Amino acid sequence: MRLRTAAAGGAVLALALTLSACTKNTGQHDTAGNTRTSTGVIDTNPKDSLGPAAEVPDARKGGTFYVLKQAKISHLDPQRIYSFVGLMTAPLYSRSLTTWKDDGKGHLTLVGDLATTPGTDVNKDCKTWQFTIKDGLKFEDGTAITAKDIAYGIARSFDPDLTGGPTYLQEWLANTPQFDTAWHFTPKAAALPPGLTAPDDKTLRFEFKMPHCDLPFAASLPSSAPLEPDKDTGVNLDSQPLSSGPYRVTKNVPGVELDLERNQYWDPATDPVRHQYPDKFVFSFGPDRDAANNRMISDSGPDQSALAWDDVPSSLMARVVGDTNLHDQVLTSPTPSEARLSINVQRVTDLSVRQALNYAIDRSDLIKTLGGPTVASPVTTLMPPGTIGYQQYDAYPAGDTGDIAKAKQLLAGKTPELVLGSADDSVDLEIATQLKNNLEKAGFKITVKPIPEDSKLDETKEKNNPWDLYVDNWAADWPSGASILPPLFDGRKIQDSGNSDTSYVDDPAIDSEFDRVLALDPAKQGPEWAKLDQRIMKELAPAVPLYVDVRYELHGSKAGGLFIGSVFGYPAFTNAFVKA
Amino acid sequence: MLRFLVKRLLSAILVLLAVSVLSFLMFFALPRDPVTAMCPKNCDAQRLERVRQELGLSDPLYQQYVGYMKGIFVGRDLNSAQGGHCDAPCLGYSYVNSEPVTHTLTRVLPVTLSIVIPAAVLWFGLGVGLGMTSALRRGTLLDRLAIGFSLTGASLQLYFVGAVLLLVFSYTLHVVPVPHYTSILVDPLRWADGLVLAWVTLAFLFCAIYARLSRAQMVETLSEDFVRTARAKGLPRSTVYGRHALRAAITPLITIAGMDVGAALGGTVVTETTFGLQGLGRTAWDAVREGDLPTIMATVLIAAVFIVVANIVVDVLYAAIDPRVRLR
Repeated sequence: MRLRTAAAGGAVLALALTLSACTKNTGQHDTAGNTRTSTGVIDTNPKDSLGPAAEVPDARKGGTFYVLKQAKISHLDPQRIYSFVGLMTAPLYSRSLTTWKDDGKGHLTLVGDLATTPGTDVNKDCKTWQFTIKDGLKFEDGTAITAKDIAYGIARSFDPDLTGGPTYLQEWLANTPQFDTAWHFTPKAAALPPGLTAPDDKTLRFEFKMPHCDLPFAASLPSSAPLEPDKDTGVNLDSQPLSSGPYRVTKNVPGVELDLERNQYWDPATDPVRHQYPDKFVFSFGPDRDAANNRMISDSGPDQSALAWDDVPSSLMARVVGDTNLHDQVLTSPTPSEARLSINVQRVTDLSVRQALNYAIDRSDLIKTLGGPTVASPVTTLMPPGTIGYQQYDAYPAGDTGDIAKAKQLLAGKTPELVLGSADDSVDLEIATQLKNNLEKAGFKITVKPIPEDSKLDETKEKNNPWDLYVDNWAADWPSGASILPPLFDGRKIQDSGNSDTSYVDDPAIDSEFDRVLALDPAKQGPEWAKLDQRIMKELAPAVPLYVDVRYELHGSKAGGLFIGSVFGYPAFTNAFVKA
Repeated sequence: MLRFLVKRLLSAILVLLAVSVLSFLMFFALPRDPVTAMCPKNCDAQRLERVRQELGLSDPLYQQYVGYMKGIFVGRDLNSAQGGHCDAPCLGYSYVNSEPVTHTLTRVLPVTLSIVIPAAVLWFGLGVGLGMTSALRRGTLLDRLAIGFSLTGASLQLYFVGAVLLLVFSYTLHVVPVPHYTSILVDPLRWADGLVLAWVTLAFLFCAIYARLSRAQMVETLSEDFVRTARAKGLPRSTVYGRHALRAAITPLITIAGMDVGAALGGTVVTETTFGLQGLGRTAWDAVREGDLPTIMATVLIAAVFIVVANIVVDVLYAAIDPRVRLR
């Protein structure tokens, strides 16, 4: 049931996302292993950025791989991609400056994709970054990919017409969120935004006014994909992107079908992560979750080599979990998308009340309400397991079901009256009701206030909102604490509206810690973020970490090589093949 | 006849104009800001305001309406974010689909037509045939069976029947493939075999109503004086039933069929969702869910056109079938 939110999240929620791992076995059949903690680092050895990628055991060439999905992919233009399905599909036809080597079990390393390494911090101040472009890279038309094409791709993301994509590179280069007024993009022209230069065909330089140590991570998003200026078709690139990856778009009927066939100019020797096993990928849009998953259960004809992109619906879950014959067709893993109960600290000013909320929470019952361990997995940390440097801890140990006595003791006879704002759709209201029943056992008086689903996100992001508690989701764009803790808890970023710091934490000591850690070498930041995670929870208790979404999907019996990507928590296609 | 047609066409245009004005107003009454569809993430107030200016959304309402209507008849220039010039009939640009709405419609309309028209022929033929037969064999086992069958159909829901048929014939027995759409121009066999489940489901549910109605109509007609006269004249039974009674009995059914087909063409949301086919109905539903206003507006207009046209066709058919009707 909760998966609805997860699916909508990519395109609509105003959140970025993060990486996951897992703390708990998520069902009968766990293809991803049950303790998935990231050991991710940035790998600067150029050898590791070279191809070809290691062969996938038992993989073979040939066949057509199908993907069934209800809704279309919102954007195919690499500079406009931000939906989960877009982020997972893009690697098939588009390469970026850097990319993640991901084994689907938590071993995650950032390597160069178009670049020979994940970037060089020239002056060790995170302000000047240099990338050297690999030899032998080609577009689908056979033209060589140069640093200028990559620079042009980044430049066109300044075009106000081409909305939808991430804005990290633009904001960092322009040094303002209003990047599209700071520099005007001209289609097909050679002009580049301030700070971005391509001195020769093999060199790309970023010069920022402020340090941005996360650049190697941000460069892994498809928005750093190259494009020949002459081949820029503006908004129409969305229907026919120019491929730099192992496949190219050969047919695209929006909302119905997307066909990708082999790109003969892609050279596996240049690519550390991708393969080219199936002859063809066919995305078929339309079948709803029930229909697509029923077809996977039926497992006949072309559906045998298909993946149902949308998770198993609750109506079929019991059957799938109970049918041992289907277990080889299950793809499941916790994801990096974490839900927390935000506590508005402007209104709930008493630390002991916030701590009591943390002691009182019954995650076990909450997960039952959500649909069980195939839908959600409990967490006690602000960063999801699988974030680089993650350390498991529980600041308020109360077991799976909560410690009501401990919460009551902290409240010392008080019965705080709290308003829980909840989106007014049935799933969210069910969760709100569960939370109310749970927390009232400890003595809280909870009033559930429904907020229209459409406006819930906007309204909780308003500084002076009238609620004490609300459930928020966060999924970061890369698995670093830098893309989780500062956006969620940096008090200096609080504005009247549009806040990500929805707990409205504003603590100068924490803020200066953010600055200190952000200035470190990104490869060394991991453990520091983990410490800070724990410190925020212990000193401020600004939220109750609740759960991470669990992906639970079905594929046909002949679909091989699939795994749930560690960065976004959705199926990855780079190793996919069709079994004989 | 000609005068009638001109009159009907004029009133049809008035109706369509009213619908266009209403749906255009709805565009602005909806609690969705069209600008947010352009800029779903990382958009602050300043940026949204710029986008709004650029799209002409701060122009006066009537000016925007005139621009829209002009686009339908002669085309119009949209800005570069909307793909530049948009040829007539231009129904605006959808940010959600990243293409002009006309492109979307030309793609999904054939799907809906392919579902509805064969299904309508099937349900009308089957329904009227069943109804007539049971009217002529009143009280027999056949009559009772036909009534039972039609009662069952009338009391079932499409999403139920469709799901059961899918489960049995497609997922389990594999007799028919999973519903899909192939253009009839590309491969008529694949076209038929991808849609047959949808036709059968629609026909089963709709024919029930027609069977019951046509039986009632026929029974009533058979008791009329002109039928008795025709019989008394010694005309053969087939002529009495086929030429005299049937023509009189069928006219109200034509009215209903016209409305049904018109409405169905305007969007078979449930059918298309049940069978996973991307036609006009699904498109309209997706557009509503995603707040894709230009597409909502276009589907509303198209649906109105279908209903208006179906009504004119029905009126003309009346005159052709029933000699008592004269069009003026």
